[in-house]
Amino acid sequence: MSSEQPLSADVVIVGSGVAGSSIANELARAGISVIVLEAGPRVDRQHFVENFRNLENKPSYQGPFPAVPWARHPPNQMTPNEYLHTTGPDAEAYQQVYLRMMGGTTWHWAGCAWRYLPSDFELRSRYGQGRDWALKYEDLEPFYYQAEVMMGVCGPDPAKEDLGSPRKQPYPMDALPISYAAQQFRKLIAEKTPWRVVHEPQARNTRPYDNRPTCEGHNNCMPICPIGAMYNGSYSVYHAEAAGARFVPNAVVYKIERDDANKRVTAVHYFDPDKGSHRVTGKYFVIAAHCIETAKLLLVSADDKSPDGVANSSGHVGRNMMDHTGVQVTFISGDKALWPGRGPLETNVIDNFRDGDWRSERGAYLVHMVDDNQVDLATSLAISKGYVGKELEEQIRYLASHTVRLFSHNEGLADPDNRLTLSKTNKDILGIPHPEVYYKLPEYTVKSCDHTRGLFKELIGLMHGRDEQWTPGYFPQDHPAGSTIMGVDPKDSVVDGHCRTHDHENLFIASSSVFSSVGTGNITLTVAALALRVADTLKKELNHA
Amino acid sequence: MPETVRKTFVSLLVAGSILAGTSHYCAAADEPDAALIQRGEYLATAGDCVACHTRPGGKPFAGGLKIATPMGDIVSTNITPDPDHGIGAYTEEDFEKSVRHGVRKDGSYLYPAMPYVSYSGLTDGDVKALYAWFMHAVKPVAETPTETSLSFPANVRTAMAGWNMLANHNPPETGDSATFEKMRRGRYLANALEHCGTCHTPRNFILSEKQDQYLAGGPLDGWYAPNITSSKTSGIGDWSEDDLVQYLQTGAVPGRSQAAGPMGEAVEHSTSHLTDADLHALAAYILQVAPQEEEPGQKPRDSFGQATAQPDIRSGDLTRIDDVTELKGGAVYDANCAACHGYDGAGASNRYVPSLFSNSVVGASRPDNLIMTVLYGVNRTAGKTHAFMPGFDGHSDVQRLSDAEVADVVNYVMAQYGNGNPHVTADQVKTFHKK
Repeated sequence: MSSEQPLSADVVIVGSGVAGSSIANELARAGISVIVLEAGPRVDRQHFVENFRNLENKPSYQGPFPAVPWARHPPNQMTPNEYLHTTGPDAEAYQQVYLRMMGGTTWHWAGCAWRYLPSDFELRSRYGQGRDWALKYEDLEPFYYQAEVMMGVCGPDPAKEDLGSPRKQPYPMDALPISYAAQQFRKLIAEKTPWRVVHEPQARNTRPYDNRPTCEGHNNCMPICPIGAMYNGSYSVYHAEAAGARFVPNAVVYKIERDDANKRVTAVHYFDPDKGSHRVTGKYFVIAAHCIETAKLLLVSADDKSPDGVANSSGHVGRNMMDHTGVQVTFISGDKALWPGRGPLETNVIDNFRDGDWRSERGAYLVHMVDDNQVDLATSLAISKGYVGKELEEQIRYLASHTVRLFSHNEGLADPDNRLTLSKTNKDILGIPHPEVYYKLPEYTVKSCDHTRGLFKELIGLMHGRDEQWTPGYFPQDHPAGSTIMGVDPKDSVVDGHCRTHDHENLFIASSSVFSSVGTGNITLTVAALALRVADTLKKELNHA
Repeated sequence: MPETVRKTFVSLLVAGSILAGTSHYCAAADEPDAALIQRGEYLATAGDCVACHTRPGGKPFAGGLKIATPMGDIVSTNITPDPDHGIGAYTEEDFEKSVRHGVRKDGSYLYPAMPYVSYSGLTDGDVKALYAWFMHAVKPVAETPTETSLSFPANVRTAMAGWNMLANHNPPETGDSATFEKMRRGRYLANALEHCGTCHTPRNFILSEKQDQYLAGGPLDGWYAPNITSSKTSGIGDWSEDDLVQYLQTGAVPGRSQAAGPMGEAVEHSTSHLTDADLHALAAYILQVAPQEEEPGQKPRDSFGQATAQPDIRSGDLTRIDDVTELKGGAVYDANCAACHGYDGAGASNRYVPSLFSNSVVGASRPDNLIMTVLYGVNRTAGKTHAFMPGFDGHSDVQRLSDAEVADVVNYVMAQYGNGNPHVTADQVKTFHKK
């Protein structure tokens, strides 16, 4: 491979998920040369749909996506895990899953596209907890909208349902129709509680949009939208390629090379699947490789000049690991049938515990009424109760139509002790260490989860529920954040308010890894908005140059 | 999105091109009355002028649509009333000559993709109304599309004079078209305005419509405008007037057919805007057109197939994420079509997604329209309904199928739900790619 032309571009991006591919698209459209290095392979939807149909365990989010050996991702959420090794008192609460392949983890997400609240960026100054971001909501607002247009987000009329994040424009698409189950749930909450159920903003088509069809409610957004009605990063990959960006699949970056002064990045090096090494030079570099892999790459790149890893003079690379920890319960409603599972998975949220003065004591949370098909759960419950024959069929029908599933997203908090390190014992076939994460739930999150359990019990009572099944302990919501935390002070943070590393002037990070607080909604829209802001910064600097 | 998108009339030698007059003489005189202008607007809609005279994303009637022909690209012209770039300098007489006779203001001849052989049937009063609307209600656009340049001999516009003598022209109508009785009104709409025959009538060796095979079907731009004569087996003689009205109004009749491609555009821009009375007149006329039989023993296109009984209880081996090998027809269907059209081919219960059996596109003897639909999808708005199916060609964001996969799934669908396996090959699919 030594005879090949050296790769070089104005901007070299590591990672082709929503962050990397949307930056590539913006830059390519501005006439800037871009190379995107993706550790995983090119993929296509039809094989995932076939895998999903052949899969026995349908709710397995990672199931249809068996990894390649040179770019492994966690095979499941089991602890111990074959790839992401979690330790500490709450190891199981940090057993995240994600995907390493073209388009990234948005191949399986529920499309929840929240903007954060202004307060989420000011957690320390408003509530004395955690950290403030080095930017304000207003700085991100235009990029939130740009991200919503790019992804195709539907949401409620802000005049009728204010979600607390000020908007200058309406959502690009009208809200989804509300499913029957959700209508029943909304009615109950409105009539019997002081709370409300809002329409969750969704990166999902409610009309034909961006050459993709309208959502038909197949109800398997996770693990795979079978028709392309939900956004995933592959669309941005395609758009970026059409605009001239070059994507290199199966390119596992393992080293970030800097100049003698250790101020500027000069190249990144990647292995191909046969461990052939390649060097890619550029003017700017963006690491957009997911919270866990981004920190891993910075740490793997340690050398004499940066013995603790690249961009890590603060020692905070890999620290402050956060998530939205979940509490989950399913139960059988004693009220009339809900028939969940008709429509997208997650569209209805109680948002009354998203913000308040109590955030000085305990974390915020969202409650999702999960609108998923409950036939598998109903079947195992009916069998466990000993039903057979016609009675079994009737019970499955009854239970499937009366099952309610609730889960929460409880706010984590930046704690430097919650830390990602490189495994000393586990390496992949290229010799790159697996990631390891020590995790202990912050008290702030534990208190929040306790509050959620109380709320769930109240809701179960209101619905005359029985056969409660609580998911034991705490479970990860796959929203890892914080591993290259943003801050004003280079001594205790990795990137500044523009996601530029404090240590290296031409190295940016586009990932939830920069979040200073994990916020009160699903992370993806904020990842996309930050990425588009990085693209904006790069466009300005490259056009000045 | 490219500046212009090609629209190919494969069967047409050449297409029309009205160039802006060079004179700065202003033709507009007295303001005509509102009723006349309104009538002109309706007629322009019925004539579907916008279909060719607007490029995708362009301003209405400013031209710029590329129409590919064997002789080269023809670019539709700006027919807004801008005096320099459009037809603002045209007098009503100039306008009439170009619309009905294919002769532009400077005396040169138009190419007959401009369906003046159809518009020749317009009444004097309707030409006047059209002129009034174009001059007074269409917004002038000051842009000139790139000029058509064809290869010899088609670039010699005077050659068209000879063609005009040989070609069939629609005889002019007289009187007030608004007062025509139903069947005459239907014929007028079909021929002088909607110009159905431009696509649905096969052409002879000089590429003039064969009037003895009126509406017997013809190819265009990869699609095939089918036989819509009253033949009960080869045409649409088994349709009721209401069926046809519904089709023209909404673009779909569940259990019979749905419009995509150029017909989808015709429904969207033209027929869905017609009055009920006009739709009934048009439908009644079309349904009494002389039958053209294709093959003996043929069955109607919408009479094939039935729901397949295939329980979907299975498990199987999973493929690794880098395995993107081509799938076979049944698997392509399963992974890409079944989510909307159903495992059994029955479509959606609300009929938004059509069934694949009892479907003229699948039951046709030619696979052309099914191939085109798989490659380029459906994108048709009529009334409040936006019918959309993504395409699966090499630019799809949903799934990019190889030519072999497209061929395989077309063969699978037609064998399963249609008129038998047409044995389409990957090479054949390649010929359907947009240039």
